[in-house]
Amino acid sequence: MFTKDDLKAEILSNVEVAPSHYLMALAVSRVFRDARPGQFVMLRPAGRGVPFLGRPLGIYSLADHGDGARIEILYRAAGRGTQVISTLCEGERMEILGPLGNRFEFPPGMDTAVLVAGGIGIAPLVFLARQLSCRSEGVRVVVYLGARDAETLLGVDRVKVCSAEVRLCTDDGSMGYRGPVTDLFREDLGSFDAAKTAVFVCGPNPMLRRMSEIVADRPIFCQVLMEERMACGMGACLGCTIEVQTRKGVQYRQVCTDGPVFDIREIVWR
Amino acid sequence: MSSGRPNTTVKIGGLVLKNPVMTASGTFGYGEEYSSYVDLNRLGAVVVKGISLEPRRGNPPPRIMETTGGMLNAIGLQNVGVKAFIADKLPWLRQFDTKVIVNIFGETLEEYGRVAAALTGVRGIHALEVNISCPNVQKGGHVFGCDPDVSGDVTRVVRSATDLPVIVKLSPNVSDITEIARACEAAGADALSLINTLLGMSIDVERRIPHLRNVTGGLSGPVVKPVALRMVWNTAKAVSIPVVGIGGIMEAGDALEFLIAGAKAVQVGTANFVNPHVTMEIIDGIEEYLLRHGMGDVNELIGSLKTD
Repeated sequence: MFTKDDLKAEILSNVEVAPSHYLMALAVSRVFRDARPGQFVMLRPAGRGVPFLGRPLGIYSLADHGDGARIEILYRAAGRGTQVISTLCEGERMEILGPLGNRFEFPPGMDTAVLVAGGIGIAPLVFLARQLSCRSEGVRVVVYLGARDAETLLGVDRVKVCSAEVRLCTDDGSMGYRGPVTDLFREDLGSFDAAKTAVFVCGPNPMLRRMSEIVADRPIFCQVLMEERMACGMGACLGCTIEVQTRKGVQYRQVCTDGPVFDIREIVWR
Repeated sequence: MSSGRPNTTVKIGGLVLKNPVMTASGTFGYGEEYSSYVDLNRLGAVVVKGISLEPRRGNPPPRIMETTGGMLNAIGLQNVGVKAFIADKLPWLRQFDTKVIVNIFGETLEEYGRVAAALTGVRGIHALEVNISCPNVQKGGHVFGCDPDVSGDVTRVVRSATDLPVIVKLSPNVSDITEIARACEAAGADALSLINTLLGMSIDVERRIPHLRNVTGGLSGPVVKPVALRMVWNTAKAVSIPVVGIGGIMEAGDALEFLIAGAKAVQVGTANFVNPHVTMEIIDGIEEYLLRHGMGDVNELIGSLKTD
């Protein structure tokens, strides 16, 4: 049973790390110790009424903290809700629900994990890189990260600490390869042994769609982290629907409970 | 006042609820989703997601959009259908000591009757709530609940199809809700619940498209409370059958407003999305209020609004 304390979080820090991009650390209850990469939280400021609904935000990192846990959220102040969240200070209270959703899976025989991130999509993949680096059967981790410019390439140090091979791209060429991260990934795709490689993708929808086209006719395991507007975050309201392709035709799935992690080939892109 | 806890039992047309707090249809799934936050045994009643004869997949996304003080939804009445509800969802609910009210709807008058009949005599179902805020497919898509005669017809069809208590859930998107209320009372409703959602819309100005794929949707949340409260007050004065108040209840104080205005019980809906514990807090809060005011029975509160 989730208690009242499981729904409370306290801000330990909330720092702007790039224009409109913030890193927030939260003290949360011990239920979050079970959180795994791919999972998210519903977060909103306590006692304000604005934003009305919680915002779904991926978990960036997890650590024990006293009797409870410490999680980090890396987010962009993209809309009304995240803009309010970006103004909050250390010591302020949040209402939190989580850990929510399913998690990234590893296919049997995986010896290489390729993480492909577009912009703020790096956030949940940093958690994943960390988990992979802790596995006893060493897995080679390769991270592709693309952003608008050098300033918005985030989480780079975190993935390097996980001994990942990091390949950076920027739209303006201010760091790394100049061009979309999907192009760089596509160039390298042939160098991976499809039978033993798993690809994990997170980023803006057009980038995810492009990735699905790239892997479409390759027998390579590929999971994508989807996003949708949410109200309850736990499968009751049926608001966060997406369409997936199944043997029985196009069906609906809830991102909050059937996802947010899906097989990239299932997704019907809007 | 007798020692001990205040009495919170209320009677709604043959249904005896341990307290006046129910969950609203469409906001609590079929109960399982909230079971790790809420002790379902403590609830007065659970009103499950609206059930139709056949399963419905609902509307294409996007289906929801936040507004100031609330949200819009165009879920599209997605549900598993009456057969699957009875076989797969109801058994789990039966284990709890709470009343189970099944919300039903149909695309035609006949369908309302058939769903009602299918749910009658089924162990574990204590009442039906009739959603009349949907379009009548046979009559040009006009919403059943916007016409008093048609609302009466739906009520009559369900009334003759079942011996379960029948609660008709009214739409606020009408000129005079008391007209609809009286028609349903005359047609045999045991109680009324109001309000369903208010019609609204929201636009993405950068892309110049509606935020909802369905264009319009139902508005709910704190923003609707003043509208719902006024309608409950008017309706409670217009009919003799019990009225259940719904609309923007976020805390005990909101629930008390509806009781004072004349509602015998309340439903908590959208609030569950932002605070899964809210129903428990409201039940506790109502009790605290009664204790604080030296009232031994919640029924002393109902309809006790002083106006002169």
